[in-house]
Formats: sequence, C-alpha cells, structure tokens
Amino acid sequence: MTTNPISMSGKHALSVRSLSMSYGTERVLNEINVDLRAGQVLGLLGPSGCGKTTLLRLISGLLLPDEGEIEIAGEKVAAPAVGIALPPEKRGLGMVFQDYALWPHMSVARNVAFPLEMKRLGAVERKERVVKALDRVGLAAMAERRPSDLSGGQQQRVAIARAIVAEPPLVLFDEPLSNLDRELRETMVEEIADLVGELNLSAVYVTHDQSEALTLANHVAVMRAGRIEQLATPDDLVNQPKSPAVADFLRLGCLLPAVKDSDGWTVKGTNLRLPAAPFDGAEAEVLLPERALSPNGSGTEKLQAEVVRTQMHSAGQALSLRVSGTDHLIRILTSTPVRSGELLELSFLPEDLRWFPVAAQAT
Amino acid sequence: MAGGSVATGAEGSSFLKWTATLGLLIVVAVPCLFIVVQAIFPEFGSGSFAAPFSLFFKTLADPDLFGLAGNTLILGVGTVVCAAILAVPIAALRALFRVPGALIWDALLLVPFMIPPYIAALGWIMTLQPRGYLEQVAGFNLAPLLFSVYGIMLIMGLNTFSVVYFVLSRTFETIGARYSDVGRVFGAGQWKSFWRITFPLAMPGLAASLLLVFAMSIEEYGTPAALGRRIGFEVLVTGIENRISEWPIDLPGAATLSLVLVSMALAAFTLQRWLLTRRDYRIVSGKPQASDKRRLGVWALPVVALFAFLSFLATGLPILAILATALTRTISGGLTPSNFGLDNFRELLGSGSDGLVALGNSLALGVTTALLAGLLGAITAYSVVKGRGRFRIVLDALSITPNSLPGVVVAVGIILAWNQPWLPVTPYNTPFILLLAYICILLPQPVRYATASLHQLGDNLEAAARVSGSGPLRAFVRIVLPLILPSMVTAMILVFAVASRELVASLLVAPIGFQTIAVYIWQQFDQGSAGLGMAMAFCALVITTLIPLVLVSLMRWISKGTVAGLN
Repeated sequence: MTTNPISMSGKHALSVRSLSMSYGTERVLNEINVDLRAGQVLGLLGPSGCGKTTLLRLISGLLLPDEGEIEIAGEKVAAPAVGIALPPEKRGLGMVFQDYALWPHMSVARNVAFPLEMKRLGAVERKERVVKALDRVGLAAMAERRPSDLSGGQQQRVAIARAIVAEPPLVLFDEPLSNLDRELRETMVEEIADLVGELNLSAVYVTHDQSEALTLANHVAVMRAGRIEQLATPDDLVNQPKSPAVADFLRLGCLLPAVKDSDGWTVKGTNLRLPAAPFDGAEAEVLLPERALSPNGSGTEKLQAEVVRTQMHSAGQALSLRVSGTDHLIRILTSTPVRSGELLELSFLPEDLRWFPVAAQAT
Repeated sequence: MAGGSVATGAEGSSFLKWTATLGLLIVVAVPCLFIVVQAIFPEFGSGSFAAPFSLFFKTLADPDLFGLAGNTLILGVGTVVCAAILAVPIAALRALFRVPGALIWDALLLVPFMIPPYIAALGWIMTLQPRGYLEQVAGFNLAPLLFSVYGIMLIMGLNTFSVVYFVLSRTFETIGARYSDVGRVFGAGQWKSFWRITFPLAMPGLAASLLLVFAMSIEEYGTPAALGRRIGFEVLVTGIENRISEWPIDLPGAATLSLVLVSMALAAFTLQRWLLTRRDYRIVSGKPQASDKRRLGVWALPVVALFAFLSFLATGLPILAILATALTRTISGGLTPSNFGLDNFRELLGSGSDGLVALGNSLALGVTTALLAGLLGAITAYSVVKGRGRFRIVLDALSITPNSLPGVVVAVGIILAWNQPWLPVTPYNTPFILLLAYICILLPQPVRYATASLHQLGDNLEAAARVSGSGPLRAFVRIVLPLILPSMVTAMILVFAVASRELVASLLVAPIGFQTIAVYIWQQFDQGSAGLGMAMAFCALVITTLIPLVLVSLMRWISKGTVAGLN
C-alpha cells in the first residue's frame, strides 16, 4: 500500500493543478495542487474562510476557477487557459450539502431518483437502484415520505443516498454533519466511513472538525488562508505536523516559543530548560504533544504545572494546566482525580517534542 | 460565500434570461420609450423627427400644466392628511390597548383594498348627492361637501387609510413590545414611552406608508374623474385622459403631462424606497410579539364606536349604496319596499346581454393576464436573482418601473407605441392590447412575490439539481418553479382581481365596442343607468374578491406550513 497521494500510478479520481481563485481583489485560493486516487477519500480541513468550501465548489462546477486545471476521472472539467468550463451537470458527480438541500416538494424516493432520471434511466432500473440506495442508508421504509417529515439525521442519509445512487466517480461532501448534534455526528461519521469503504467510493470531504477528517479520510489537506498547509495521511498529520499552524489547528498540544542561549534551549522569557533540538538555529517553536505528557509518568524530562481548571468528561478528567513560571496552557486528560490549584509533575520523552525552526528575523 | 461578481459555474438558464429581457422590453420599455420620444419630437406620429422639444417646453410652460400639476399635488397632500388623521389614532389604539373585537375591525378594514376606488366613489355619489340615500334616510344631503376638493380628498382618504392603519398598528405593536417596554423598565410611563420611543421609531414606517398613499392618490383616475369633473377640478391623470380621448387629440401634450406625472410618482417611490432601506433608522419589522396590552376601561365603548364608525364609512356605506342602487328598480323611486327588485340583475345577466359579454371579456382577460404576468414575473425575478452585473440592474429596474407608471400613462405609452401607422402588424384595436396594458401595470406584483419566495429558497436546492445532472432550464422547471408556485399563485390571484376590473387603461385602449367590467360600469353610470352599473359593480366585487379570497384561504389551508412563502 502506498500512501503517497502524488503517485501517478493508478487512475486518479481527482486531480487539481495550480488552481487559483479570487473574489475581486481577495485571493481565496492560491496555487492548489491535489491528487486523489480512485477509491480514496480526501479530507479538506481548516477553519472557516480558509477556502475549503470554495475548493469544493470549484470541483463541483458551482464556481469556476481563474487559473489552473481540474480533472475528474481523467476528464478535464475546468481549465480556463484552454477555455474548458464544464457546468456542474456535465461532471457526473454526487454531492452532499451542509443544509441537505433535499427538494421539499418531492418524496424521498423522487429525490433519490432525480440523478437517475437526469441520466435517462428506465423506470424499472431507476426504482431498483433507488431502493438499493435507500436500503444502504437504512431508510427504505421512508421512501414515500416527504423530506420534511424526517429528522435531521434521516434527511442527511437521504441526501447521501441521492449522492451515491448514480454511482458517480467522485462524491463531494460539504460539511455534511455540521448541522447535526454531537452524538448523531459520531454515529454518522462511522456510517459514512462504512459506506465509503463498502462502495469503494472516491470522495472529497470538507469539514472543520478534525476528528471527522481524521476518521474518514485517507489523506487530509489542512488548509489555511487559501493554501494547503499540509497534505498527509492522518497518521503523519498527528505525528509529523509540518507547521505550528497545523499543530495548533489540530489541537495536538501546547506550542511553546523556544530560544537557544549558550547553555541550550529554554522556553522564551523563562528559565525553563528544554532538551536539545535536532537542528541548528537560535529560535523555534516547540510542540509539546498532549498525548506525550503524563502526570507522574516515566518520561525522562520533567515539567511542573499548576492545575487551572478541571472538567469532568465521560473519558476522564480534562485538565487545563499552566506551565510553572510561564503563561502557557496545556491540556491533558487524566483518570486520577485532581483539584484546581494543585501542582503536578508532567513527564515526557525528548523525542516526542516537535520542533519548528523560526527563521531569524532581520533587524 | 459566493459573491455577486464572481463567475459561477451554475448560471441561470440563458433562455430564461433572454425571455425575461425580451418580455420586459416589449411590455415595459417600449411604451416608456415612445412616451419620451413623443414628448420630445411632436411630429413623430407622422414619421418625422422635426422640431425636437418645440412642444415640450411649450407644454411645460403652459399655465394649464401648472394648474394640473398643482391640483395633483394638492389632491395628493390632502389625501395623505385625511388618511393620516383617520389612521393614526385607531392604529395607536389597536396597538396599545385591548380593543374589543379587534380582529373583526381588522377584517372590515381590509375590505377597502378590495373595492376599486371608482366603485366606492360611485357609491358615495349615490349616497350624498341631492335626493341621495342620506337625504332619504336623514333628511339632508352633503352634496356641497362631496363635490368639492375637500370631498375628493376625504373620499380618497377613506379609500386609502387602511394601508396606513395596517402598517402603523403593526409597527407600533412591534416597537411597543421590543423597545417601549424597555423604556418603561427605565421609568417612563406608558404615554411618555409611546411619545418618546414608539412614535419616533415608527416615523419612517408612517412616512413610507403615507408616501404610498400619496402615490396611489396622484395615480388614481376614477375618483377625481367622477367627482372632480362636476366642479371643474382637473388633475394630471384626468388632463392626460382628456388630451387622448377628446378632440383635438393632443398626443405630445399627453406625453409631456405623463412625464410630469411619472416624475412625481417616481419621486414618491424613490423617497419611500429610501426610507424603507435606510440603514441607520431601520423600519422595525417582524412579527408583533404577544405583549400585554392595556384595558380600555370606561373608554371601551367610545373606542369601539370609533372603530365601527370608520369601518362603516370605509366599507359598509359604499357597499350598501352599491347594493341599494342595484336592487332598486328606479333611482327616483327611492328606498321604498315597492321599488326593490332584482330587475337590474336580471337585465345584466340575461342571456346575450352586454353585461354578460363584458363580464366574460374581463374574466378571460383577467385570467390570461394573471397567467402571463405570473410567468413573466417568475422568470424575471429568477433572472434578476441569478443575474450579475449591469444586466441584472437593468432587468431589475425595468421590472419595478411600472410601480411608478400610473395606468393612464401606460395607456398613453401603449397607444403611442402600437398605434404607429408604419407598423405592419399591431395588437392595437384587438383585445391583446388590453393584455399588454394589464401585464405592464401589474407586473411588479408577481415579480415581488417571486423575488421574496426565491430569496427564501436555499441556493443549494438548485445547486443540488445541477450537480445531479440537470441543466439550468430543467433545474428551473423541476425545482425552482414548483417551490415558488404557491406564492406565485397568490400573486396571480391578486393580478386577476385587479386586472379584471381595471378602469382607466381599459377606457383608453379597449378596441371600439369591446367592453370590460369597468368600462361597462363607467358607461352605464354616465348614461344614467346607475342601477345596471351598480349591479355590475356588485357582481364584479363578488367575483373578483370572493373567489380569490376563497382560493387563497383554500391554498393556505392545503399547504399549511409545508410550503414557504405563503404564510
């Protein structure tokens, strides 16, 4: 199994080349390059306004790019340089919208049948495939209901059935779960993951929720300010974040500014010692990953921290701690009860730290 | 996220865009253009562009024009004053106190919207003229008041004050619940908080509704024509009508007067739009919340009497007068039992009668206008909502232009445009010309309903259809149209109700010998057959009011809560 998304072997479900897009003078997407192999899921993750939804709408054809190229299943669908701009209906996609976008004047079955109708399939086959698609999402019994009679989760399942019924080469998910409450979201993520696996779907999944992206996607593109900050497997993202911004967005742990003096590295503005960095340089940001820290653990490096706030979670007690002698906060989960104001000793291993060199600023 | 100026891949159908453009050009732009051209080039009718502006300035400098424009302004302002005096107190009472039978008064005050002003004016004439119903009942008549400038203002104020009443009582109520209560928490008494908070906040709403009344009254033909002509009080609308329908026909003069009238209406509408869209002092809208209103106590009886009196004046009296005239055999016979009978209705609805033909004509024209204006309105609103840039602005402007075009002006434009001798074919002198006039006058209604309804539809509903493989035209037909249909039907019913009894354009452009409901009523009244005319007026009220009302409430009931835009 190869995890390299740029590999040219095999058929690409989606291939985006130097894609750029501006609203007026504001550049919302800048030189985006992504490839997605058939049968894989690409997660687009980022805070609102990062350009992820714009990218998805460009792929769907609901927006047209200023520059660059988009290929879906080997066919160029948008390439302004050569005058190609296929409208959405010519791209053969399936799409799930954040607000479901079910047509309220049609029954569930008619909604799901619509893409097949547009493909001019015969009534018999249409019906058969609608039943199959609704069955997959567990709503075969609701076929004759109106969408407005269904709950939010059921409506989104119908929308998913509509997106997959025509077996498109690429399915687009536009924050499909953000209108649902948390428990439902967690079950739906698993359902979608199962569905994608069973049908061997190629999909692009836009979300601002990192756990959704990490659960569903084979590759996740973390986006920021119109650029892809990092494109990697979920595993690599968590273990090897490429920049402080990625680490921060994924809430991987505490980011500390570090400086090197004659004695070695310290946390900036304090005399807190840090283990040696694996690179040359005078300044860096260092990530103290949350999962590398444990209270009273066996790590070789120690850190004093004061408990600022505790919060009960189902999985244990969530602690906010202030690193002694600094203003920096760390969060960890613990199973042993502690109280606010207590001092804890946290330990970690030097190799768990992630270092991001800061280029020396010209003064 | 999608901004208006960005190239979208899911443009609306260009077929619809061009249909809307073509439709608006024919229906709206052509008549407007011809009025302007005619006003500038007086010889245009004979195919010459000679002597531009020669008559334009002459007409503008004409003392006649000053008289007409002055009278129009006086009438407009006077009507506004009457409407305000009638509406503001009862709106405040309705909003702040628990008025017994409030819903009944609301329903009764809705009725003036449904009675065409010219029919109400004829009802008032029957009542107040010498030996009219008032004299027969009470022994005196108010003819000197009725046939005076103040009388016209009062009658028009009675026809229009419910517009102000509904806007204002709702505004008062909303503000009362949202802001005035806050004032009371900080120590203002109820009256103080009304004067210091509610009333100032309601000012833009009051001003906007009064401007609407102003525009309605300067555009009105029937009332000034029925009442003013007897005392030689002419306004722009009647002046224009004179110049087209009486010898010597003066087309350049009619065109110039039309431009003056349109400028006034346009000014009123622009001011109104500005008031309604101003950011800093936004008109408070939204549903009035249930708030505890004060009891009226000993004032309950006088207040109810006031509501009853105004409702009777605005609604009951004109209808009773119409009914009385229709049900009496002769006017001179008066209100005696032996004089009552159904003779007028029998004659009106007898097989093959003129009245029956006029009714049929109006109903057919009303239905056709409703369907065409509804379709054109839906397509136009869709093209505007989906459109971008300059194109969208032009289309939007064209679609709301008729708002400031009085019926008489539309008629002038249509005559000028389609009565040109060099046209190889023309709808002029066929019923189709009426269709063009009605669609032009009423187009803003369906456009407004469709636009509101389209804005309620999520963008993604259409996007989902496009991604599912449907082209733009099919997405419109399969997704957009069915979803806005309920509010389009409401708009079309409204169009039907107004078109089927439209007066002034029908008088001016109807082919010779072709009668509609309004033309029939007007002519019967002119010829002294008031009974027949009023029988027709009553039938028209029933047909064009009750049927739409029943249809609308039926639709509301059927689509209860399931379709956006109806409730």
